[in-house]
Amino acid sequence: MSERKHESLSALLDDEANELELERVLSHIADDDDLRQTWVRYNAVCATVSGHQLAHMELDISTQVRQAIAAQKTTAAQRMPSAVHNATSLRQRFLRPLASLAIAASVAATVVIGGQQLARIGGVDPYGNGQAVAASASPVGLVNNLGATTVQASYGTQTMPVLQPATRTAYRELARQRMHKYMQEHAEQAALNSPQGLIPFARVPRIRE
Amino acid sequence: MLQNLLRYRCSHVLLAALSLITTGVASAAVCPGADAAALSWLDKMSRSVRQVSYNGVVTLQRGDDMQVMQISHSVGEGTISERLTELTGQGAQVERADHPLDCIHPGHRLLRLGADLQAGRCGIAQYYRFSVTDGERVAGRMAVRIRIEPRDMYRFGYVMQLDGETALLLKAETIGRGEKILEKFQFANLSYSGQILDGTEVNLVHEAQHPLPPAAVPTASDGNKWGVGWVPRGFISTDIPVGGGGRRTYTDGLAVFSVFLEELGQEIRPGEGVVHRGSTLSYTRGMRFTGQSVLVTVIGEVPVNTARMVADSVDWTP
Repeated sequence: MSERKHESLSALLDDEANELELERVLSHIADDDDLRQTWVRYNAVCATVSGHQLAHMELDISTQVRQAIAAQKTTAAQRMPSAVHNATSLRQRFLRPLASLAIAASVAATVVIGGQQLARIGGVDPYGNGQAVAASASPVGLVNNLGATTVQASYGTQTMPVLQPATRTAYRELARQRMHKYMQEHAEQAALNSPQGLIPFARVPRIRE
Repeated sequence: MLQNLLRYRCSHVLLAALSLITTGVASAAVCPGADAAALSWLDKMSRSVRQVSYNGVVTLQRGDDMQVMQISHSVGEGTISERLTELTGQGAQVERADHPLDCIHPGHRLLRLGADLQAGRCGIAQYYRFSVTDGERVAGRMAVRIRIEPRDMYRFGYVMQLDGETALLLKAETIGRGEKILEKFQFANLSYSGQILDGTEVNLVHEAQHPLPPAAVPTASDGNKWGVGWVPRGFISTDIPVGGGGRRTYTDGLAVFSVFLEELGQEIRPGEGVVHRGSTLSYTRGMRFTGQSVLVTVIGEVPVNTARMVADSVDWTP
């Protein structure tokens, strides 16, 4: 798949696509299996993160969707000759079937894993300063935090069930922890390879020796 | 002894950088839209830190947060020593002593187009649009303003103010979507003298690291389990990945991002999460490769789309 199409797809998913990109994806998605598969994959990730619980990722309804788009396109083109209207309706027409595709393509994760497994990944903290990370490491712990009780991630090795809506929060929390864990290593490189000298170290949440 | 060692390490980095640059930059007959004056200032800026000694107070603003720090930079006999001391927050100090003057890392090399531009090798001018105007007064010095706009959606823009005489970077704003200022750094005061200031209360001292010498690189057998399949055009590796190490870092001369991979002992529910601090993002993605769950994290000063696409391109082999 070309980089350009990939880019448009990513922008579309972020709701950042302009009309041109929309057109480009629309024109390519019809006969590009690879592009279609990527779209389905992206949506699966998003849907999973946002807590959608639908299965049937293997079900490719894109043919029907394409036909639906084509049918609507013909009808709408007849109704609205103006280019501006056409672009607007194009977006609406395009997004609606894609939304259905996204939902149909969403996949329920097959494995429910324990919060502390998410938390313990990587195992060794290279900086020997695991406590700051571990204290807020568990997505389960975080959910509990939201419920006003702070729970240390010390559940041992037994798998703990994770509530579905926690997935999105858990990933956000993971991203936050990773920033704490890796920012200094990133700053070491940024300090040598960007114009601001040592300033990237000032972005490190907590500098370690 | 120490200098020799550092020099040895650096030559290795240089070699790698050079080979990457020569293969990475497509030669074109012309460089459309390349502003020679602005690019010349960029070149001077990259060299200035090897020519002048200075110290001063710097502020770093990210959203509502502002940090203040003392910077000392001393150019000596063939080496540079620099120090950053946080005056707010943690109060940590970061030092880099005896960094050889001739050790030029890939990021700085990318900013030095020089004769390449005339030869039709456009380098960084392919990825950003540069323009130069009169700047403002920063830390009591009159500055030259360089406006740097990205030519694609994979990087941020910058407005940089360089000292009109020395070309030292006095102020830099990182600009995101919709002209939003994500981060602003600037000197509050500046003195061109070489002394490294002491006397500030310091909580901890960190010695800034330097890429490892080749001897420390483990064999390929445990080093090539994963790779990054795609980075935006113009980005090159900053160093040689250390064997089984979980990090790869890339720069285009202005932006830097690092990719980290962790192999998980358990299966993970696929998903993604992102947090932002100023211009820095941390994007974490849970993925599965033939039964192996991994967590890929992209940290750097790039838009989320870039991070997502880089993470998407990561490949892992058992």
